Amino acid sequence: MLKIAIVGCGKIADGHVEQIRATGRGEVVAVCDREPLMAEQLAVRMGIPGRYTDASQMLAETKPDVVHIATPPDSHRFLGQLCFEAGAHVFMEKPFALTEAQSREIVELASRYGKQVGVNYLYNYEPPGLALEQLVAKGSLGDIVHLDTSYGYNLAGDYGLAVMTDPGHWVHRLPGKLFHNVLDHVLAKVVPFLGDDIETQVVAFRRRGLTGSAIVDAMPDELRFILKSGQVTVTGNVSAHGRPVQHHLRVTGTQDAVELDYTARTLVHTARWAQPSALGRLFPAWVQAKQYAGNGWRNLGLFRRHEYHYFQCMRVLLGRFYDAVEGKGEAPITPAQILRVTRIIDQIVAGIAAQDEAHA
Amino acid sequence: MTKILLTGSAGFLGQQIARSLLLQGATDLRLHVRNKAPAGFVEGLQREFPQANIEVAAANLLARGSLDAVMQGVHTVVHAAAGMKGAAADMFANTVIGSRNVFEAAGQAGVKRLVLISSFSVYKTDQLASGATLMDNNPIEPVGVDKGPYGYAKTRQEHLLGEVKQQYGFETVVLRPGVIYGPGGGALSPRVGLNVMGWFFSLGGGALLPLTYVENCADAVARATLHAPDGAAYSVVDDHLPSCKAYLDGYRRHVRKLRVIPVPAGLFRWGAKQLTGYHKRSKGQLPAVFTPYVVRSMYTPLRYSNAGLKAIGWTQRVPTPEGMQRTYAWLKANKR
Repeated sequence: MLKIAIVGCGKIADGHVEQIRATGRGEVVAVCDREPLMAEQLAVRMGIPGRYTDASQMLAETKPDVVHIATPPDSHRFLGQLCFEAGAHVFMEKPFALTEAQSREIVELASRYGKQVGVNYLYNYEPPGLALEQLVAKGSLGDIVHLDTSYGYNLAGDYGLAVMTDPGHWVHRLPGKLFHNVLDHVLAKVVPFLGDDIETQVVAFRRRGLTGSAIVDAMPDELRFILKSGQVTVTGNVSAHGRPVQHHLRVTGTQDAVELDYTARTLVHTARWAQPSALGRLFPAWVQAKQYAGNGWRNLGLFRRHEYHYFQCMRVLLGRFYDAVEGKGEAPITPAQILRVTRIIDQIVAGIAAQDEAHA
Repeated sequence: MTKILLTGSAGFLGQQIARSLLLQGATDLRLHVRNKAPAGFVEGLQREFPQANIEVAAANLLARGSLDAVMQGVHTVVHAAAGMKGAAADMFANTVIGSRNVFEAAGQAGVKRLVLISSFSVYKTDQLASGATLMDNNPIEPVGVDKGPYGYAKTRQEHLLGEVKQQYGFETVVLRPGVIYGPGGGALSPRVGLNVMGWFFSLGGGALLPLTYVENCADAVARATLHAPDGAAYSVVDDHLPSCKAYLDGYRRHVRKLRVIPVPAGLFRWGAKQLTGYHKRSKGQLPAVFTPYVVRSMYTPLRYSNAGLKAIGWTQRVPTPEGMQRTYAWLKANKR
């Protein structure tokens, strides 16, 4: 069993502790937060023996094999180095770091100390994400032409509420504010299909009314972007107001196209009009219905086998990450992919800033 | 003249506490809000109580540094702000860390008296037999983590109050409301039941629903703030409480139709045991929202006492039938 410690005891830490335990691969030995009450609440609620307010002390006393860092991203560079120096592998909560430059430093530190560094790009490990992985490996889609991705955000939900009600929330300190905190989810799904040279176009704005807090009101909540890398394009939509809250990816290749719904956990091939005339248009709806029924049946099986948890995707990702830690497999997310995600975020943040300057 | 600071004054209960304090003779009130007061709220109070000094202070309770100015010149703090929703860690932060910041700032500013709005959820009730009366001096949970995130946060908040009382020598008063209801509030408490996929599972059955109409609850807070002895703690419930079933029947008659499935107590206890077992076996695939401990603690039919409040002069301003009627009318008008 791996000895695992958590740094950062906010709400996402619950998910880490639950999924670490569910993998059956690690024991959470300690938690750490600068705010003693936050360390206390996680340790008490989850029944974890060690609680600390000083990460160095925790590392020295508990000597963990792996540290999950679930703090705001402006601390990741510092904490990452602390963990690597203490001989621990690091699994980072997203955003991986504030900038690509910081991300590169973390990746280089991991390499220098011979440690694994992973990141919680969990949605690639949802059932439709894993199905897409197989289709791409088999070349079923042909060459990728275009990806279209939508990510909805509920400002009245658990996460949105924390951001909207607390002007001191760390999300407001991020250069890209709310988008900076969710773009990892959007981009991690598309970067495997992109090269390193990427052109970016961006539109961002605030659609909601004013709250009276200048800090909260400075946060835009609607984002559209276009990426182009070689012959591949991506359109992206992050929306706090579109309903229902969506989480989609559409992948179009030269041979086939698929539509992934991460909320419904479905992947279907895009309908084809294979027969002529109006008669031909009778069939696709039934073909699609059969595909959805197949997805439903698969999901039922996953549920029956207890493999359908809300954070099941994190469980799969952690399993692969711990394989890499124990030398049993490759790192599930490569440093190149991490750097590509953070580079695109830098470009989108710069695009938003340029747009704001132009409007000013 | 003593200045009273009311935190969470823009909330459902907070707005009524402000008015009750002024009605009961407070003349110097500082209203804490997170960002800005609801439109017309302060203006309305100023019109109704022209002799009173009413100030507004905006502050984020999670930012300790922003509270020093808010505490200046304050004699009594009525702490009503709390995290009512969100993830467990956020609810804890908004309730416990916010309270810690308020208590510390109050201690350092020389505040004399702290009045905390706690909750029924802190009482340790699993040992009470059916039909027993929940008294003000009933013990509170030692930790509270088995009561779920809200119960845990409120329990830790009360224990924290005990710690700062020792540290700063505050006078303290605690009010533990039952189910606060009224226009602007929620529709059906989990004590009554749960709405799941279009079906309402009636869980409370014939057990009394410990209601406190928001204006009555606010009156109790104001009365205790101005008159309760140091160290007192009160359950806040109204007289003539309906059963959960009677409240639900009234809701169905006056607000909207519901497809109701009554869940007998034995079946509920059995279901909670099964759910807890499934939660463990499936590694958390379904959350254990009801554990046998929660069912025993929250759904055992009890009687409730407000004798302590009456002893300090609290009287119920809005009779329960009228409170229910007003609430149903508001819920219907607002499609809740």
